[in-house]
Amino acid sequence: MAPPAASQRYPSPSQPSGKSEVSDLKTQLRQLAGSRAPGVDDSKRDLYKKVISYMTIGIDVSSVFGEMVMCSATSDIVLKKMCYLYVGNYAKGNPDLSLLTINFLQRDCKDEDPMIRGLALRSLCSLRVPNLVEYLVGPLGSGLKDNNSYVRTIAVTGVLKLYHISPSTCIDADFPPTLKSLMLHDSDAQVVANCLSALQEIWSLEASHSEEACREKESLLSKPVIYYFLNRIKDFNEWAQCLILELAVKYVPSDSNDIFDIMNLLEDRLQHANGAVVLATVKVFLQLTLSMTDVHQQVYERIKSPLLTLVSSGSPEQSYAILSHLHLLVVRAPFIFAADYKHFYCQYNEPSYVKKLKLEMLTAVANESNTYEIVTELCEYAANVDIAIARESIRAVGKIALQQYDVNAIVDRLLQFLEMEKDYVTAETLVLVKDLLRKYPQWSHDCISVVGSISSKNIQEPKGKAALIWMLGEYAQDMSDAPYILENLIENWEEEHSAEVRLHLLTAAMKCFFKRAPETQKALGIALAAGVADFHQDVHDRALFYYRVLQYDVHVAERVVSPPKQAVSVFADTQSSEIKDRIFDEFNSLSVIYQKPSYMFTDKEHRGPFEFSDELGNISITPEASSDIVPAQQYEANDKDLLLGIDEKDDNKGLSSNNGSAYSAPSLENSSNITSQMQELAISGPATSATTPQSSFGFDDLLGLGLSTAPAPTPTPPLLKLNPRAALDPGAFQQKWRQLPLSLTQECSVNPQGIAALTVPQSLIRHMQSHSIHCIASGGQSPNFKFFFFAQKESEPSNYLAECIINTSSAKAQIKVKADEQSTSQAFTTVFETALSKFGMP
Amino acid sequence: MLQCIFLLSDSGEVMLEKQLTGHRVDRSICAWFWDQSLSQGDSFKSLPVIASPTHYLFQIVRDGITFLACSQVEMPPLMAIEFLCRVADVLSDYLGGVNEDLIKDNFIIVYELLDEMIDNGFPLTTEPSILREMIAPPNLVSKMLSVVTGNASNVSDTLPSGAGSCVPWRPTDPKYSSNEVYVDLVEEMDAIVNRDGELVKCEIYGEVQMNSQLTGFPDLTLSFANPSILEDMRFHPCVRFRPWESHQVLSFVPPDGEFKLMSYRVKKLKNTPVYVKPQITSDSGTCRVSVLVGIRSDPGKAIESITLSFQLPHCVSSADLSSNHGTVTILSNKTCTWTIGRIPKDKTPCLSGTLALETGLERLHVFPTFKLGFKIMGIALSGLRIEKLDLQTLPPRLYKGFRAQTRAGEFDVRL
Repeated sequence: MAPPAASQRYPSPSQPSGKSEVSDLKTQLRQLAGSRAPGVDDSKRDLYKKVISYMTIGIDVSSVFGEMVMCSATSDIVLKKMCYLYVGNYAKGNPDLSLLTINFLQRDCKDEDPMIRGLALRSLCSLRVPNLVEYLVGPLGSGLKDNNSYVRTIAVTGVLKLYHISPSTCIDADFPPTLKSLMLHDSDAQVVANCLSALQEIWSLEASHSEEACREKESLLSKPVIYYFLNRIKDFNEWAQCLILELAVKYVPSDSNDIFDIMNLLEDRLQHANGAVVLATVKVFLQLTLSMTDVHQQVYERIKSPLLTLVSSGSPEQSYAILSHLHLLVVRAPFIFAADYKHFYCQYNEPSYVKKLKLEMLTAVANESNTYEIVTELCEYAANVDIAIARESIRAVGKIALQQYDVNAIVDRLLQFLEMEKDYVTAETLVLVKDLLRKYPQWSHDCISVVGSISSKNIQEPKGKAALIWMLGEYAQDMSDAPYILENLIENWEEEHSAEVRLHLLTAAMKCFFKRAPETQKALGIALAAGVADFHQDVHDRALFYYRVLQYDVHVAERVVSPPKQAVSVFADTQSSEIKDRIFDEFNSLSVIYQKPSYMFTDKEHRGPFEFSDELGNISITPEASSDIVPAQQYEANDKDLLLGIDEKDDNKGLSSNNGSAYSAPSLENSSNITSQMQELAISGPATSATTPQSSFGFDDLLGLGLSTAPAPTPTPPLLKLNPRAALDPGAFQQKWRQLPLSLTQECSVNPQGIAALTVPQSLIRHMQSHSIHCIASGGQSPNFKFFFFAQKESEPSNYLAECIINTSSAKAQIKVKADEQSTSQAFTTVFETALSKFGMP
Repeated sequence: MLQCIFLLSDSGEVMLEKQLTGHRVDRSICAWFWDQSLSQGDSFKSLPVIASPTHYLFQIVRDGITFLACSQVEMPPLMAIEFLCRVADVLSDYLGGVNEDLIKDNFIIVYELLDEMIDNGFPLTTEPSILREMIAPPNLVSKMLSVVTGNASNVSDTLPSGAGSCVPWRPTDPKYSSNEVYVDLVEEMDAIVNRDGELVKCEIYGEVQMNSQLTGFPDLTLSFANPSILEDMRFHPCVRFRPWESHQVLSFVPPDGEFKLMSYRVKKLKNTPVYVKPQITSDSGTCRVSVLVGIRSDPGKAIESITLSFQLPHCVSSADLSSNHGTVTILSNKTCTWTIGRIPKDKTPCLSGTLALETGLERLHVFPTFKLGFKIMGIALSGLRIEKLDLQTLPPRLYKGFRAQTRAGEFDVRL
């Protein structure tokens, strides 16, 4: 008596179904509910399947809850499973209805089939309805005593689930001691493993307010318990082994015999087929031997081959995770993989994220004995079809050259790249040649002859162009036509879109002028004129500065711009060794993948289990909607340090990656040179320092340049009326900030008076408030400040949210605006910028 | 501690959602993920670990299906990735592959499997033989299986006793009327030949695959004639470590059915069975291509299914390639495949023709990498030989079978 609907296939998810289908299902389920006819289970199965397929594609089928529960009185396991799945999904939303379910789940918990007992118990604990916890205690208690291990396994996890719904119920029912005795005495390995995992979590959450829990947590790390687990580790399944190994990492061995005992017990885990087990074992080995230097070195030897096996035998995703860890190891012990460099040769079909890590490995393992082979291999990638990888491999060659003493062969290879006449290859290579020259000036002769023959017209990329221009300026005396090439470039000033290139042009023209004045004078004049008129603040400033220095004294100018250079011996490392050690301590965690210690990407409170993170994570929210300003002391001192650390790091990161990581050094060097020389000048010469705004304006007038490039201080009437009494609580702000799309990003410069006034965030907050823009959170200290602002329209409750990052050293503000009404976000930004431009004005 | 697993189709549609803990992960994370992967292009899409504003995402992609797992707490990334790989393996084992239709047709099974594989965010059992006892595979497979095992019911209602026995990978007491055990050596040759025709790297990755249908609790010993050539071994959990350490003998109680006993690597091989000699010369906008393929050292068995494929560089506007043996196809994505099959006795297969470059280009600067494929049945090119397979107690009517085959893995010939 199958109903007609049962023979139809359920509709494909591409045709979303409406209410009529759901009510249809409802009637059909109701018909079947009481029926005991043969074959009724099959019809039910089809209907259940439909309901769940709707649920899966996101259609709300909670209205058939009652019917589903009624139909679930059956002995068919698959039917039961489907019903449990459905109930688990909707119980939270229908606490009243789930009382119905409790009844039949409790009955099933006493079924004679252990599978049904287990499944019912699992579903019961997964309902997660807080006011029904009292019904869980009984079934859980008997589940823990069940004679079938499957049920016990589920009951143990159920206790943990109960704890998360209601910690007090769980503690009051005395479950943790029961789990402890199960953990130490149960014959089934899975039960034991689940006990361990549950107890670890319960006790570490309880430890904050219970001394007993704290003691119990410590006792898990005692010698007998650790050995109890390690001795029978082979009985556990692979995932439970990972759990035990993680526990073992925290164990502090009493003496060296202890250490060797543990390593002997675990040695064969290194050969396990599951990579997670192998890596967890490696971590135990490394941590145990940290204090024993020579054993530690032997451990590197021992773990080498299992790790290399994992790299080449797993899926690309697994290789990725392993390679990240290898990179960490190779930085600490470069010798370990030196002989195995061929493992890191890229295969054509590998995804580029694996290739990229392999290139990093090749760079890291290169030493005197294998450099030749590695560089040969890397050079083959340079002609690769995959352009991103070709670029990376050229950079890798450069990095190796900067590491090694014998660069002879590598320089030749690099110069060969230039002959390939591929624009991206040429650009990357020029950047490298420039870095090489800074470290090994003795190679200038060979390089210059090749570089001199490159036509600047063929290089489009700013990085490469900037590098070429730098070399033209630096080695103007060796390149006969350097002034003319520069002149050519300067004549096309208008077409040069990259500010970086224009900055380099200015500097190169100056350097060239000091060496070959007659030939360059005209070009320098054009360049300075174009630079002063440039709309880009930095270019404008630099041109003006050069102009004034030249006016003051040409010899001082030469000392400032083109002092005799010393070869750079070591390029700054991007990461401090302290950070690297931190990451090493967090071996086998996400920190390794991100190459950052966890405190940099997770807040303190997010490091524990089950905490929610949010987008504003880096900055703590202080309610500042009211007129009195809450000072920054509200932040916990600790948190503040942490927070600033992150902000600065991120900014630096952003900067250096923009500039192409380590190869951007000349521009940095130039600017630092200039600033240092500028101080000298400020002492000896007239006051030109930017920190005293009045004098700088005076100077501008003196030169007759006007204030054309300074932000217009004339007040423009705001187009948008903002509500001066707007209010928004931090929670709502966070939510909005997450939900709203970014409607506008703007960069603008902050006037010098403003920068001078911005010694603490509060000054800007007060200022913006007078313009009806309220601050909700702020942070940072010189030179980076970060603010979150909000404002409301005067007439209607339409919100504007803004994030504003101000860097006082570059006098730049970056503004991100999100708005309820997208259309008016431009108007708001104008108001915002106007308000910001008045900051610091008397 | 994983909080949620999503399965996404190749168009980004959420096919399946499995919440694992009390903290529900909103589906919108998938939309975020998909937007990101579309906007960031391929490099982002394939990155296995991603930090979203609210969660850490782990993903693996199998046959167009994205397995996405979310977590908010620190956990070993490899564990999450390994687990997802196991989920994908088990699903494809159960459903006979993974694709959108298969998963949508069998989503109940997928839910059931996930239910047993992970509880409260922590992996439980991923051993296929145990899962198969708890959850019956879907129709086609289960029909086959019921013929094999003699178990006719679609739903298994017995509990796996394996979880309770001291050998977690083996059901307690399987019974077979005829006892059979097969050992396959399956090897893949990975090689890189550089521009000068030198063999930069040549090694074999091999697996010992077994299919055991043995009654009771058999204890097996497998020994090799030349175990010293093996490196980088990884073993199935059933293999006892000590006998291997002391005598290089594999001693184990096998799981029931098919499984991978061990994997190994044999390095520093000196020779490949097939050679590829590519040549490209370019002159004023056109390139002449000629590629020769032939047998370098005869392995003693027929080399079959030889193919050579490569990606034409982007700057090639049109290609005119033909061969004196086999067929050449060029797809619209500029992938060129030359299917050779077996190498004839009387001539050397040769691919030749011209490539026209885009206007303005004189010479070719970017060179393709040739990928070689081949298959040789009946031989393990590493030279590994199985000496004997012993059973501690001999069951009646025992049949032992051994096979070997080698195919090309990642075999790159660069130009």
